[in-house]
Amino acid sequence: MTNDHTRHRPTGFGNPWLQLGLSVLCVFVSEFLLKRGATDVAEPDSAFSWTGINGLKSPLVWWAILLIIASFISWLYVLRYVPITVAYPLSRVVDILVPLGCWIFLGELISTTRWCGIALVVVGLGLVAKPVAQIEERL
Amino acid sequence: MSALAFFLIVVSLLSFVAAQLILKRAMEFSAANGLRNSRFVSLAAIGVALMTISFFLTLGLLQRFDLSYLYPFQGLSVIFITLLAAVALKENLSARLMLGALLITAGIILVSIS
Repeated sequence: MTNDHTRHRPTGFGNPWLQLGLSVLCVFVSEFLLKRGATDVAEPDSAFSWTGINGLKSPLVWWAILLIIASFISWLYVLRYVPITVAYPLSRVVDILVPLGCWIFLGELISTTRWCGIALVVVGLGLVAKPVAQIEERL
Repeated sequence: MSALAFFLIVVSLLSFVAAQLILKRAMEFSAANGLRNSRFVSLAAIGVALMTISFFLTLGLLQRFDLSYLYPFQGLSVIFITLLAAVALKENLSARLMLGALLITAGIILVSIS
């Protein structure tokens, strides 16, 4: 990797991989809050609502915004240490966590096609995670 | 889906991708030069502004379409960011990383349309 900053990686709470996990967790929760909040205050007949600004009337949207800000700060920290070609694909683990969360917590069914999609993402994440191991070796 | 909706989805996606690349640039710059300089502040401000535009456009779209319908477009961001980071930020892009990004994108799209 060309990124020199990965060599000075802090440990403990400052560990960029821990921060990446926290960032993903915040996004995971905020996705549910946003959809719920946006649906609660939906005004499909109003042209102004295309801007999404009327979504601010929902308290759930404000909670989601707080979580997004927290995830954003963690994410910026991650970007300081990890190449975005590795960090961004890894951060998309949230795209399978959301349907899995619906399955586990909400009892929603997951179709065969959806399981196939989840499997593809897992294989893709495995491929992307291999270079992570290489970065760690160089530390 | 109307032409307006498609246009807004594309604008939202592109502003999100551009924001990520600009923020990566800003953080790399800050690692070498610290946070208190005008170049870092302006790059970070542009990145945050683009993220904000993308956020509100998505909120507007969520009022009209299901999350599962809008999600495949977000999935495309993996490919765009990976490719553009290699081109614009000169990051190493191995065949393995590219294949991983492609599989993740395909998986996200499958999850969303199923």
